[in-house]
Amino acid sequence: MKNNSIAILKQGKNSFAGISILMASLMLPGCTKNFEKYNTNPSALTVEQSRSIASTAIGPLEQAIYSNYQIAQNLSADAYAGYMMSPTDFRGGNNNLKYALVDGWNVTGFNDQYKLVMAPVSKIAQAGARTLNPDLWAVALLIQVEAMDRVTDRFGPIPYTKAGTSLISIPYDDQATVYQTFFKQIDTAATNLQTYIAANPGKAPIGTGDLIYNGVYTQWLKFANSLRLRLAMRIVKADPATAKTQAEKAMSAPGGLLAAPGDDAAVAQSGSRVNDLYTVTIAYGGDNHLNAAIGSYLGGFNDPRGPIYVTPATKGTPYTGIRLGADVTKGDYKSLASYNCLTTFTQKAPQLIMTAAEMWFLKAEAAVRGWTGAGVAKDNYEKGINISMEQWGVAIGDYLNDATSKQAAYVDPLNAANNADPISTITVKWDEAAANEVKLERIITQKWLAIFPDGQEAWADYRRTGYPKLYPNLSNLSGGTIDTKIQIRRIPYPSTEYNTNSAAVNDAVKVLGGPDNGGTRLWWDVNKGNF
Amino acid sequence: MNTVKTDNLINSLNGKIAGLTISPGASGVGSSAKVVLRGSRSANGSNQPLYVIDGVPILNTGNANAQPTGTFGGTTDGGDGISNLNPEDIESITVLEGASAAALYGSQAQNGVLLITTKKGKVGKAQVDFSSSFTANNTAYRPKFQNQYGQTPGTVSGDVTSWGPSISNSEDNLKKFFRTGTNLTNAINFSSGSELAQTYFSYANTHATGIEPGNKLDRNNFNLRETGSFLNNKLTVDGSVNYVNQKIQNAPQLGIYSNPLISLYAFPRGVDIQPYKTQYEFPDNVGVDRQNWITHGGDFHQDNPWWIINREPNYAKRNRMLLNGSVKYTFNNYLNIQVRGNVDRISDDFEQDIYAGSNNLYNSLETGNLKLSNQTLTQKYGDVLVNFTVPLKNSDFKINGLLGASVNDQQLQGYSFGGDLQTPDYFTAGNIIVSRAGTSSSNTTLNSIASLVNSFALPPNHSQTQAIFANADFSYKNWAYLTVTGRKDWSSNLSFTNNDSYVYPSAGLSVILSQALELPKAINYAKVRLSFAQVGNTVPPYLTNIQNTQDGSGALVFNTAGYNGTLKPEKTNSFELGADLRFLNDKLNFTFTYYKTNTLNQYIPVSYSAPTLISTGYVNAGNVQNTGLEFTLGYDVFKSSNFSWNTTVNASTNKNKIIDVDSKDGIDKFFLTNDGNSYQSELVKGGSYGDIYAPTLLRDDKGRVVLGGDGTAEHPYAPTPSAAYNLVGNPNPKFQLGWSNSFSYKKLSLNLLVDGKFGGKVMSITQGLLDATGVSEESGQARAQGGVKVNGVNAAGQAVTTVDAQTWYKTIGQRGGITGEYMYSATVVRLREASLGYTWSIANSGIKSVKLSVVGRNILYFYKKAPFDPEIAMSTGNTLSGIDVFNQPATRNLGLNLNVSF
Repeated sequence: MKNNSIAILKQGKNSFAGISILMASLMLPGCTKNFEKYNTNPSALTVEQSRSIASTAIGPLEQAIYSNYQIAQNLSADAYAGYMMSPTDFRGGNNNLKYALVDGWNVTGFNDQYKLVMAPVSKIAQAGARTLNPDLWAVALLIQVEAMDRVTDRFGPIPYTKAGTSLISIPYDDQATVYQTFFKQIDTAATNLQTYIAANPGKAPIGTGDLIYNGVYTQWLKFANSLRLRLAMRIVKADPATAKTQAEKAMSAPGGLLAAPGDDAAVAQSGSRVNDLYTVTIAYGGDNHLNAAIGSYLGGFNDPRGPIYVTPATKGTPYTGIRLGADVTKGDYKSLASYNCLTTFTQKAPQLIMTAAEMWFLKAEAAVRGWTGAGVAKDNYEKGINISMEQWGVAIGDYLNDATSKQAAYVDPLNAANNADPISTITVKWDEAAANEVKLERIITQKWLAIFPDGQEAWADYRRTGYPKLYPNLSNLSGGTIDTKIQIRRIPYPSTEYNTNSAAVNDAVKVLGGPDNGGTRLWWDVNKGNF
Repeated sequence: MNTVKTDNLINSLNGKIAGLTISPGASGVGSSAKVVLRGSRSANGSNQPLYVIDGVPILNTGNANAQPTGTFGGTTDGGDGISNLNPEDIESITVLEGASAAALYGSQAQNGVLLITTKKGKVGKAQVDFSSSFTANNTAYRPKFQNQYGQTPGTVSGDVTSWGPSISNSEDNLKKFFRTGTNLTNAINFSSGSELAQTYFSYANTHATGIEPGNKLDRNNFNLRETGSFLNNKLTVDGSVNYVNQKIQNAPQLGIYSNPLISLYAFPRGVDIQPYKTQYEFPDNVGVDRQNWITHGGDFHQDNPWWIINREPNYAKRNRMLLNGSVKYTFNNYLNIQVRGNVDRISDDFEQDIYAGSNNLYNSLETGNLKLSNQTLTQKYGDVLVNFTVPLKNSDFKINGLLGASVNDQQLQGYSFGGDLQTPDYFTAGNIIVSRAGTSSSNTTLNSIASLVNSFALPPNHSQTQAIFANADFSYKNWAYLTVTGRKDWSSNLSFTNNDSYVYPSAGLSVILSQALELPKAINYAKVRLSFAQVGNTVPPYLTNIQNTQDGSGALVFNTAGYNGTLKPEKTNSFELGADLRFLNDKLNFTFTYYKTNTLNQYIPVSYSAPTLISTGYVNAGNVQNTGLEFTLGYDVFKSSNFSWNTTVNASTNKNKIIDVDSKDGIDKFFLTNDGNSYQSELVKGGSYGDIYAPTLLRDDKGRVVLGGDGTAEHPYAPTPSAAYNLVGNPNPKFQLGWSNSFSYKKLSLNLLVDGKFGGKVMSITQGLLDATGVSEESGQARAQGGVKVNGVNAAGQAVTTVDAQTWYKTIGQRGGITGEYMYSATVVRLREASLGYTWSIANSGIKSVKLSVVGRNILYFYKKAPFDPEIAMSTGNTLSGIDVFNQPATRNLGLNLNVSF
């Protein structure tokens, strides 16, 4: 018995010895030397690859300005500017177009610009671009200012100077600070560009990575000056001193402003991207149609740009659009006028963010205000119209001499309850003897017709000046927060901010100067006369 | 399990195992199933269990099409891995719940393990089994329509609705669309063996057609398993090869877009749909006019259902090879060593052809669109196990143990192409207008439809785990058992951090009281068990290494994800206590288990506020707790040579609580979906996994419905949605019960299975849209009685008792409406399975036995309040549970089975 046990133990001992060695080898840390290689995605870029194509990062930033176009801009700014109205009865009518503001739509107008513009720009800064590539940095800054201006003009105070500094709470800046920062950033950009152009004339290192100007810095310099002029005029009611200073600086800056259609800033469609207006008008089956307002002015003035902008209605007069807030279930509203996506806003048409025409009208307004370097109001006004006609490739004819044509009456062939008499008596021909207010209505109305389809800028102008005169919303489902006569002044802050940045957004509402709803005016939207 | 065949074998386990919740897919034949053991625990990772075949884990993935994550649906389900297997090959399935399986199978077993043992040849027996089964499947329910009011007059572009004048005719258009689906499976297996070698070979062929026209599945399974002993039985070699070839055609698309059911159901009442079935296209027309349909465009783009089936078909092919091998050498009674390995290689091809004339949304150039993907997923697994018994003098004690090491390597290779076509309707890759991986889009909804041009290599997601583990079993006198395990994993997904390895132990104690103590005679067997286990789990690949990418034109796109600290492994702690009892000479058996699991440090991708400039934050956070009870009770009521009757009940309840999301970062909510349109699925601190948040009717403090409008024709009274989304329900059942009865009388056998899921609430967006378009029975009744009766109040404070039906239903039922009003009880009790069989043998013919059975599945609903089967899942992912967006109805399957053994 004992022998057997010993025999077993001996056998066992040998086996155990063998097993122990085996186990010891198994206990060694695993061969993990290839682990980092496995955990690297070969379809993604390495750090070196990123560096070598850094200049191509500009294109995506530019395209991001129109991110989520339909719900971020088209179904809000474009509609409130009197450019578009939808025949689609979204959400059974409970949507932005009837002042029932849809948080799920409007949130994209806030979040996307931080995610797709400010975040990559901060990465560009982290890579050292400020000092290593000041020219690239200038372009990135200008795109950021352009993008974030659109955000602050929608919502009001926004996080800007402190963005990216915390994961928990990002404080908001009041709008005055935001604009101040914009001007400083334009200063930096303009200086960087001037320095680079002087030292490297004719060089365009970003090249085709830039979907707006193909990397031509002289054009970017004009853009910088023009952006300054646009922002300066925006704040003329809230801070007239800064407005004058910045505008005069812009009008006298080296490099000049956008002056001719060749200077227009438009984002080209790269790769597979399709023009957003085409998408919402055609691909989405007609979600985007013409607003009664612009239809009535184009028709009333017999505007040569009409056929360029509009696909005519098949019922009623050719430029019959749809009233904002109309009940579109009452008839086939898709038969009314729409955007011309056949020849103008085609699939590959670039998308405008700033035009030379706009600059001429800004100078006209600056001249009316008596600012230095603004030239003569009439000349600028007429030049603006001429440049716009040239931009769209139409003959101006006798348009500038027309002192009789006015906004046409609006007739809705599907529902007479929507009919409206004209609310404006402004004509095209410049009248030097007119009061400043009339001159301003004339300038802004023509500017509005010229900068079509940029609803974002047009809505900002409408809120600032009250022009052009727009029809009020036919439905007002805002629960009393928006006055139908005054019309909507801003978009409320998105729920994502209340959910994830609540302390800061609640502080921002205090700075807003009114409740967080569509009726509260922004800082530059001062409730007083234009002069 | 083979009593009633279905196209996905896992569905046949429904109702049979306590704690196992199976939600069949909604994608027609071959759809994936969602399987959850003991409640969901992972916010972002998979909640499905691990499938292990003969000790070795296998893959359970679908093809390159992701599962839907929102109401727009988008892509079609390619079927999961488990559905590929031939149920005839399965000897047994054991469910290992709780984390105690983790030591052997590692992190993937965190959600439980379904341990499948396959058949092999038996020594000294040669047998041939043939089985054939056929079932005819029909819809188990259909929506209820009204037949009193017809199409809304006037050409309203877009959606065609039924708010028109009274009609007297009625049309059953669903009958013209749905057909009887079939499932015909033939299988044959051969098994033979001697002392030295055993062989098993099987072949099965499945041909199934779905209830929607054009949907079919064909599958061939081949399996060969060889076992041999050598060197005087010291060396055993076991190898098997399993090959599956499967084709699925026209898996129905789910959600609102490109789904034939939405057009079919919403078709105007009183209008005959037959002309559109007979002629779905005008081949000579161009653009959308090519499609013959009552309308084009609309807020939920309706297309001719037969156009969708014939001119937007999809095809999924799968080839799967599963190679398994093991070699075991027995040194002596105390020691053996086993080496095992497998290669599981799944190759999937997917194609969807969209012809010109389809809706512009997924056909923007009007030349058609093609989507192609091809992927091969390979898993290689190998392990070494040393089993030993410690020889002890005292025979009261026994110590067994196992030491092991394993490697599991998974990698994908594949491509995805998609885009608009150059030459119309020419469906080949070379005709796609190609652009590289696209990220710029003007609308994220469009991305989910995948009509944008996308050509890219699928990321390899190469993930390797190496592990060493040890088990020790101590037993005392055959009635006390203590198991202790430990495991250490190294994961490549955690490389680039300092945390790439993690250790997790477990301990379990069981005592067979009936052996240890003198128990009353009635108790034949009593065992008590207790265990603690911890499982570690890694994070998904590529997260610890943030890399930039390029967009469609080669431009640099920055990856703006960020971390709050470094990523580390997640951890599940589980505790289990239970008992197994047998009484009355083993006639009555009872098992009971209580468990509590907490999953901590989950990897959660958090959406910070946008101004943080971090697009997604990768954090470890969370504490998701599941507690529950499971019990089974079985009783042999009669047992004699002629007649026997066994009845068994299994029941379980699971309570899920989100104890924490990420409070250290001030985050108490995590959005699983963010539809922006209809509802949200949120993980909220203090809430429960699967909580559905939606807008509800705005009410005043007296509970009256607040109405907007002024009661005039221009501004009729209409309900308003609540300002915020409110918690409206959770689809997870509170209690599940399965009751099966088996009778046998001489040669007859009868099996009945009734199961019920109790509690929970589900949402029907389908019902909302049926109401909004005026086709539903409810909307008809409301009109017949002059409006919807409400306890309402208008802006002036006056009571309002009737609201115009059209205004009411359009406001609440429309897409993005007040979906909180469409919640239904998820309680459902049904006769899940029934089979009546007759077995006989034919003497002197070599046929050992023949069994013919009549079978049925999902035969009868004893109780169902929801307009759809609450069990059906639109997605096997973590979202969309309990939401019905035009899912295919559940089917009632009736048929015959024939089993012959030679």
